[in-house]
Amino acid sequence: MSMGKFLVRRFLEIIVTLFIITTLIFVLFRLMPSDPAAMVISPRMTPELKEVLRHRFGLDKPLWEQYLIYINNIFHGDFGQSFYWQGENVFEILRPRILPTILLFTLGYIMAYAVGINIGRIIAWKRGGKLEYGFTVGGLFFYTMPIFWLGLLAIWIFSWKLDLFPVGGMKSPELWTMANAGLGAKILDVAYHLFLPLSVFTVWIFTGSMLLMKNSMLETLREDYITTARAKGLPEGAIRDHHAARNAMLPVVTALALNMAFSFNGGVLTETTFSWPGLGSVLVDAALNYDYPLAQGAFVILAAVVLTAVLVADILYAYLDPRIKY
Amino acid sequence: MRPVSQIEVKTKWQRRRERVGNIWMLFKQSKVGVLGIVILACFFVLAFSSMIPPMIDEMYIPLYGTDPDIIGFSQPSVRHPMGTDFMGRDLFSQLLEGAKWGLIVGITAAAASVIVGTVVGLVSGYFGGTIDTLLQRTADIVLTLPSIPLILVIGSALGRLSIWNIVILIGMLGWPGTSKVIRSQVLSLRERPFIESARISGASDGRIIFRHIAPNVLPLSFLYMTFGVTGAILTEAALSFLGLGDPSTVSWGMMLQWCFTSGYTFRAPFWLIPPGICITFLALSFYLIGIGTEQIVNPRLRER
Repeated sequence: MSMGKFLVRRFLEIIVTLFIITTLIFVLFRLMPSDPAAMVISPRMTPELKEVLRHRFGLDKPLWEQYLIYINNIFHGDFGQSFYWQGENVFEILRPRILPTILLFTLGYIMAYAVGINIGRIIAWKRGGKLEYGFTVGGLFFYTMPIFWLGLLAIWIFSWKLDLFPVGGMKSPELWTMANAGLGAKILDVAYHLFLPLSVFTVWIFTGSMLLMKNSMLETLREDYITTARAKGLPEGAIRDHHAARNAMLPVVTALALNMAFSFNGGVLTETTFSWPGLGSVLVDAALNYDYPLAQGAFVILAAVVLTAVLVADILYAYLDPRIKY
Repeated sequence: MRPVSQIEVKTKWQRRRERVGNIWMLFKQSKVGVLGIVILACFFVLAFSSMIPPMIDEMYIPLYGTDPDIIGFSQPSVRHPMGTDFMGRDLFSQLLEGAKWGLIVGITAAAASVIVGTVVGLVSGYFGGTIDTLLQRTADIVLTLPSIPLILVIGSALGRLSIWNIVILIGMLGWPGTSKVIRSQVLSLRERPFIESARISGASDGRIIFRHIAPNVLPLSFLYMTFGVTGAILTEAALSFLGLGDPSTVSWGMMLQWCFTSGYTFRAPFWLIPPGICITFLALSFYLIGIGTEQIVNPRLRER
């Protein structure tokens, strides 16, 4: 199979998965005991007004028709109107928030894997010692830490006490409203705001890839070609990096795709802790305001981002392992 | 050859005790595993001692006991070793209560997801075919859904989530990983001769699955349960912190949420730090026990 065919097939799979997810959400909410309109229709309203509202939200139509309208709208990017931000289009609220999420998540993920793979490589090479034990327990300590709490500690130390970084947000309003602010200054400003959330996210997530890399390295080091490399008298560093680590990386990259959804949990919490204006923090606010259309829209877009990220990881894997043929 | 009369006949219980002893011998070799057991034991002590403060005085009842002399927040004192929260409730008894809920939520949610995962894996691997495809595609979809956002969406429509709602939701979203591992084990187990002989002797599918295959995959299920507990504890803490928790249960996540929303985050270290440390160590203990168990279940990891 060619690369093009593979991409088309995976793209169709993503569409089908999104379709199933949205259908499940629809079924889930219609099965629930509460009236979907209860959020906007108060029991004190007159019956006539209730009817008008029901009609406006399309709740007087039969269920299958509601479903068709719902699916049709979602695939046109129309998630309806927010309950809380009266009358605002959900997609318009979400659109500016997609990029910040992708920025934070992609950078964090790349950094976490770079750090994890490198440490894993080294502690596997010096296995059985204090280094391995220390990094395993230390890494797990951060891994099992509630990421929002780690974020709060970071804000407390670095923003509150030391006053090194901003408490939250993505931009300084003064700079962005200035007419003559240059692009370089703007990028620096975002980087300045990004530093703490990115570090917290990376520290929280790197352990998974580190432990996997370590285990994979330990397996690889028993292979015959490592013995061959030793027999040839190659320097230790070359055996470790060029012979062992390269092959040991493959399962780690597979896991990269598998852990994507789990990592987004941490991403959502990081965004909320640092008031990062992404999809995660808007989803949390929507859930707290019982703004179900907005929450649903944010979730569907987040799911689309996760699925795309998994696809990118798959392509990367094929690129790294020349044995994979499509 | 010894005469038959001299061969030791072991009772069922002796054999069982020996087997447990062997497992413990293997587990002991893992330093991190033992560390996990020690930490977990400390939390069990904390959880059981959560009963003591309310017996001493009514003001130590974690959810609604307030000190008559203190109206709001206070720094640590002799009467309140960690101080009181914004309503004058004792923080130390809340911390002990949190240990109880951490253990309850973590273990029940992980048990639920592992039971579902094991049954799905057994059925999927044993029957194969259409059932397998359907179950595994479902697992794939659930795997690509980030669980906390999904629970947030459900929360936005349901209104308030009780602690048991949260346990059920965590359980319903955590099974796919276990089911995939169990399935791959079952695929190889079902080709073994002992399954063949069970089938020839007329055992039903149900009997083969649960009497002959299941006992062989249970250690693996247990392994995934320990990792599941870690995940469940962290998920519950996160949901509570975000404000979707059950305000009628005092969990560590709830304590942090109260600390955050009442504006004491950076002014009350005795309120902010202990619950976070407790969450970390309780979650860590189960993960370390998991690593110790992994070395028993997967002998390849043992000798190095």
